[in-house]
Amino acid sequence: MSDSGPGSGTDPDRVPSLARRVLAPFADRSVAERLVISLAAIVLSIAVGFVIVLVSGRVAECTTAAWTMPVTGMGFCYDPVEVYVVLFNGALGYPFAVGEPGLLNPTWSPFNLSFGLTLSETTLLIFTGLSVAVAFRAGLFNIGTQGQLVVGALATALTVLAAAPLLPEGPAAGVVLILVGTAAGAVGGGFWGAIPGALKAYADANEVITTIMLNFVAANVAYVLVLEVFRAEGSSVVATRYVPEYAQIRPWLFSDSSDFALVALAAGVVCIAGLYYLLEHTPFGYDLRTSGVQAAAAEYGGVNAKLTTVRAMTLSGAIGGIGGSVWVLMSEGRWMASVPDLGFDGITVSILAGNNPIGVLPAAFLFGLLKGGALEIGFQTDVPTELVGVLRGLIILFVAMPEFFRMIGRFVGMGSGGTGGVAATSSEAGEAATEGGETDA
Amino acid sequence: MRNVIQSDYVRSLVVGTVAVLGLLGVAGLAFPESVAGDLAGIVFSASTATSTARLAAPIVLAGLGGIFAEKSGVINIGLEGLLIISAFASVYVASLVGIGNALFGIPGIWVGFLAGIAASTALSGVFGIVCIEFKADQIIAGLAVWLIALGLAPFMSTVFFGGVNTPNLGANVGWRYSTAMVALATLASWWTLNRTAFGKHLRAAGENPQALDTVGVSVSRVRHAGVLLSGVLSGVGGSALALSIGQFVGSGETMVQGKGFIAIVAYLFGNYNPIGTLGAGVLFAGLDAVQVRLQQLGYAVPDTLVQTIPYVVVIVVLALVGRTRIPEAAGEHYETEE
Repeated sequence: MSDSGPGSGTDPDRVPSLARRVLAPFADRSVAERLVISLAAIVLSIAVGFVIVLVSGRVAECTTAAWTMPVTGMGFCYDPVEVYVVLFNGALGYPFAVGEPGLLNPTWSPFNLSFGLTLSETTLLIFTGLSVAVAFRAGLFNIGTQGQLVVGALATALTVLAAAPLLPEGPAAGVVLILVGTAAGAVGGGFWGAIPGALKAYADANEVITTIMLNFVAANVAYVLVLEVFRAEGSSVVATRYVPEYAQIRPWLFSDSSDFALVALAAGVVCIAGLYYLLEHTPFGYDLRTSGVQAAAAEYGGVNAKLTTVRAMTLSGAIGGIGGSVWVLMSEGRWMASVPDLGFDGITVSILAGNNPIGVLPAAFLFGLLKGGALEIGFQTDVPTELVGVLRGLIILFVAMPEFFRMIGRFVGMGSGGTGGVAATSSEAGEAATEGGETDA
Repeated sequence: MRNVIQSDYVRSLVVGTVAVLGLLGVAGLAFPESVAGDLAGIVFSASTATSTARLAAPIVLAGLGGIFAEKSGVINIGLEGLLIISAFASVYVASLVGIGNALFGIPGIWVGFLAGIAASTALSGVFGIVCIEFKADQIIAGLAVWLIALGLAPFMSTVFFGGVNTPNLGANVGWRYSTAMVALATLASWWTLNRTAFGKHLRAAGENPQALDTVGVSVSRVRHAGVLLSGVLSGVGGSALALSIGQFVGSGETMVQGKGFIAIVAYLFGNYNPIGTLGAGVLFAGLDAVQVRLQQLGYAVPDTLVQTIPYVVVIVVLALVGRTRIPEAAGEHYETEE
C-alpha cells in the first residue's frame, strides 16, 4: 500500500521521516552555540517566571505585602527574589546565609537532606535523559521513556522479589540481587522500547504516536497487574511488597530519608561516559548518528537503517528501564502505581542538553535543583510549588527557538561590533535554513 | 489514487464499527440475560449516549483543530495544553463573573466559555509565533505548550482558589450544547477544508508551500491562521469539558488526562478527514463511557484495562495501515524566496 506522493516507489526512504526532517537542523548546531542557547533559555525562563510570580502576587490576597516594588511603591503578595533564593539555596540545603556578613553558612554540610533529595532526582534524571538523548541522536523522538521506565521498574521489583528467597541473606546476596534486578529492568525497558522501534522500522508507524500510546498502555497494564496479582497484602496503595533491605541501594554519607546513594550517581556518570564513547567512537555509534542526521546517506553508506532504528530504540528503552530499576531499588524500595514523571522530565533534560550525553549531567542537575527547590518553596513561601512546572515548560519553549536567540545575537552584534557567542555563530542560521529547504529538492 | 485509498480506509472503518454494533445488538436481543445482553443494554442506553457525547466533545474538537494546524504544515502536539488552559480559564472567568450575573447580557457561564476559547487561542498564537517566526522545532515547542499549561493551570488555581482543584460552580453547560457544537464544528471544518479557497490554501501550505508562494499567498499567514484555528477549536473543547462538570480539576495530569493526545490519534485515525475524526472521537469516548457503566453494573473488568483498549487499537491500526500520510511539508520551516 504505497502512500507517498507522486514519483515515489523507487526508494521508500526518499522522503526522510518526520523526526529526521524536524531534527536534522537541531543536531547540526555547534556545541558552543547550544551551550549559549541553553543558558540563555534558562535565564529567560527565570525572568518570565519572575514576572509570573509578580503578577500572581498582585492578584493573590494577603494582609501584608511580601515585596514592594521600588520607585512605584506597589505591594505584592509574593516576593520573587525570595522565591528564587529559596529555590536554589534551599535545593542545596542553604549553603548561603542570605543577608549575613559571612554569606556562607558555617554549619552547612554537603550531606544534608535537601541536597540529597536534589541529587537523588538528578541521578534518576540522568538515566531518563540519556534514554531520550540516544533515541534523538538516531533521529527518533522517544516520548516513551516514561513507559519504558514503568516496565523496567516493575520488572526489577518482581525479579528481585522472586530471586531473594533463593539466596542467603546478606550483603553479597544484595549485590547480586541489585545487579540481577537492574539487568531485568534493562531487559524490560529494552523490550518496551523495541516495540515502537520495530513498528517504526518495519510497519512505518510514527514513533511519536506509538510511544505516547505505549506510555498509557504500560501504566495501565502495570497497574492492573500489581492490583490483581502482585499487590502487597494490607497495603493501602497499589504497590508491590518491599524488596529486602539488603537488596536496596542504601544511602552512604547522606541521610536515609534523602533516598540518595552516591553509588547510583556514580553509575549514572559511568553510563554517561559509556554512552558518549559508544556514540562517538564506535561503528555502531557512527551508524546511529548518521542515520539520525542523514538517513539516505547512511543507507548508501551501507547502514541497515531498519536494524539501527530497532537497536537505538531498544538501547534507549533499556536505559530508561535502568532508570526504573534505580527508582525502585534506591528511591522507593518497591514498585508503586504513582510513578513520578521522570520519563517526561527526561525529554526536557535531553533537549536542554542538546542531546549530548555529557550535557545530560548539568541538565539533570538543573532539573534536580528545581525539584529539590520546589519542596523548599512549599515549606518556606506562600508561592504555589507548581511554579516549577511552569519554569520547566518555559525552559523547553525557549530552547526550542534558537532562531530567537540568533536574532537577539545579530541585533546585539550589530550594536556593539560582534560580541558574544551567539552573534559569532549567526552565520550558521543561514546554513541551517538551506538544509531545511533542500529535502524538497 | 490517494483519494481512493482514503475513502476505502474510511469505508472499512465505518463498516467495521457498524458490524460490531450490529452483532452486539443481535446477540443482546437473542440472549438478554447474558453479558452481551447487558453490554447491548449499556451501549444502546440513553445515559451512555449522553456521557459519550460529553466525553467526545474535547477529543473531537481538539482533533479538528489539529487537522487545521497540521494541514497548514505546523504539527501541533500541544493540543493537550490548549485543552488544559481553556478548561481552567473557562471555570475561572465564569466564577469571576458569577453564575447568576451577566456581562454585556451574556450569562456568566457563557462568558467563561468564551474566555476559555480566548485563552486557548492566545496560547496557540504564541505557539504559532514561536514555530513560524522563530522557526522553533514544532514538536518540542508543542511539548512546551503542554508542559507550560500543565504547570500554569494548577499554579493559577492555587493562587486564586487555594488548591489545584477549583470549587464547583454549581452550574454547567448541558451535553446538548456541546453535542451541537461538535456537530456544527465538524461540518464547518469539512466545508472549510474542502469547499473554500482558504481550505485550498491551507492544504497547499502544508503540501507544497512553494506553489502557494508562487501564486502570491503568504505561507506564514496561512499557517498562522491554521494554528489559531486549532486554538479556537481546542478552546471550545476545553471549555466544554470543564463547564460540563462546572469545575476544573488540576491534580495529576489534570482533568484533561491525555484527551489532547487522543485527539491527535483521532484525526490520524480519521486520516485528516473531519467526519472520520468525529467517528474516531466518538468511538474512543464511547468505549470509555461503556467501561464506566460496566463498572457500575458490577462487572469485575478492571476499568484500567478497558481504558487501555483505545491506545492498543491505535497502535495496531498505525502498524497495519502504515504511516498515515502526513502533509509533505509538515514540520518544515518555509523561507520566502524574494
